[in-house]
Amino acid sequence: MIIDQNKIDETIKIIKANGGHGIQKCVQCGACSAICPGVKAGFPLLCRALIKDLLNGLLEENIENSSSWGCQACNRCTEVCPQGVRPQEVVFAFRRYQANELAFSTSAVTSQMNLYETGHAVFTDPKEARRKVGLPEETPTSAFNEAAQQEIRTLMDNSPMGELGLF
Amino acid sequence: MEQIGLYLGCNIPLKNPDIEQSFRKIFPALDVQPVDLEGAGCCPAWGTAPSFDLNTWCAISSRNITIAEEKNVDIMTGCNSCFGVLSEAKHFLETPATRTAVNNSLAKINREYKGTSDIYHVAHVLHKKIGLTKIRENLKYKLDGLKIAVQTGCHTLWPSDVYKVKEDNPYFPTMLKELCEVTGATVCHYSRLEGCCGMGGMRSTDAEKSLKLFKEKLLSIKEETNADMIVTTCSSCFMQFDMSQPILKGRGVIDFEPIPTFYYTQLLALAMGFDPQQVACISQIDRNPIIAEIQSDTRRIKEGM
Repeated sequence: MIIDQNKIDETIKIIKANGGHGIQKCVQCGACSAICPGVKAGFPLLCRALIKDLLNGLLEENIENSSSWGCQACNRCTEVCPQGVRPQEVVFAFRRYQANELAFSTSAVTSQMNLYETGHAVFTDPKEARRKVGLPEETPTSAFNEAAQQEIRTLMDNSPMGELGLF
Repeated sequence: MEQIGLYLGCNIPLKNPDIEQSFRKIFPALDVQPVDLEGAGCCPAWGTAPSFDLNTWCAISSRNITIAEEKNVDIMTGCNSCFGVLSEAKHFLETPATRTAVNNSLAKINREYKGTSDIYHVAHVLHKKIGLTKIRENLKYKLDGLKIAVQTGCHTLWPSDVYKVKEDNPYFPTMLKELCEVTGATVCHYSRLEGCCGMGGMRSTDAEKSLKLFKEKLLSIKEETNADMIVTTCSSCFMQFDMSQPILKGRGVIDFEPIPTFYYTQLLALAMGFDPQQVACISQIDRNPIIAEIQSDTRRIKEGM
């Protein structure tokens, strides 16, 4: 592998700009990977392995790798990291880099559209189930509240997400 | 009566409203009045704004929090993911630059985040505010002799530095165990107690990897405890246990009947005598036999005893 300092600098800049502020504190001890449910389940590029690649400047090379989307955001890694890296934040920073390049599964688009339209990432018509348990058919949430939906749309329209053409 | 903002999230009010109904039944009976947060939306879920942009995440989270701030109440969530997402957003909003950027976004919808409402999980309100003694005093049925395996779920445990209420040891959580034991039931230890159930981003990204993780946890529960039921304080874990045990059974991967699973407040509502048709009636796994056992006449606690 050829180490290119410019690529390393650019990668670290992008990861930090996306919220992975602790990446350079990593000493590759592997405590995070030892406790990560995603690593345990078999996702190859999470925690220590991902951070290693990023510290070597391998960013674009991994853009299609779906491992980061297998991260549960459980933060066991953050709890055990002796260096204060907060590895989950690095994994999510890499995921944000991928997302803003539209490098993610099309199935993830549905939840963005649901959020934009109803204010709920997961939406199913709840009326029958709610009636069955003796609750009002309509939830007090954004699902049946046009003004609330409009607020959420305004926040999304005026964010970097609004420029991706997802909703 | 103390009031607390009931933050519903998505899955509980839309897919499992019997869990929502269990909140609405038990809390007033325990002298805590849940207050609706009208117009609150998604927390937002990990796979949405948090996966795209940190400030957008914090803006959508803080919009929800400002609804509680306007009512001068703290927030109580039933969904672990909502608890984690809102708590982490609140943590990020301690950074002045983030708070300024987010309040600039919120200004477009005439809102301002002040940081005056704290985030609690349903389990925290029950364990820390209401307390085990008061719960015990309000039981109608005692669950002595029944065996429970508990599943706390990830997002009330880690990262402990962003949560208002913490376990003494997040790798060995005890709050849910104690909340179950107060009913008289026995809570059995198992070696994968702190393990992830595999729901969440993993389930939607790669269902087989998710099921692999789930199977390991489930076998640990079955072989080490032979529990009568699984009780969780995470609505996502509830869905995984209720949905994926029948899948594994159908594939012949497990040779035992799926273990009935409850969200904790459903179990408590049953033990407090509420109608199962309202508080515990939506599940894939047949829970009727264990519900009948919980609310059997022989378990009824006599008045004045």
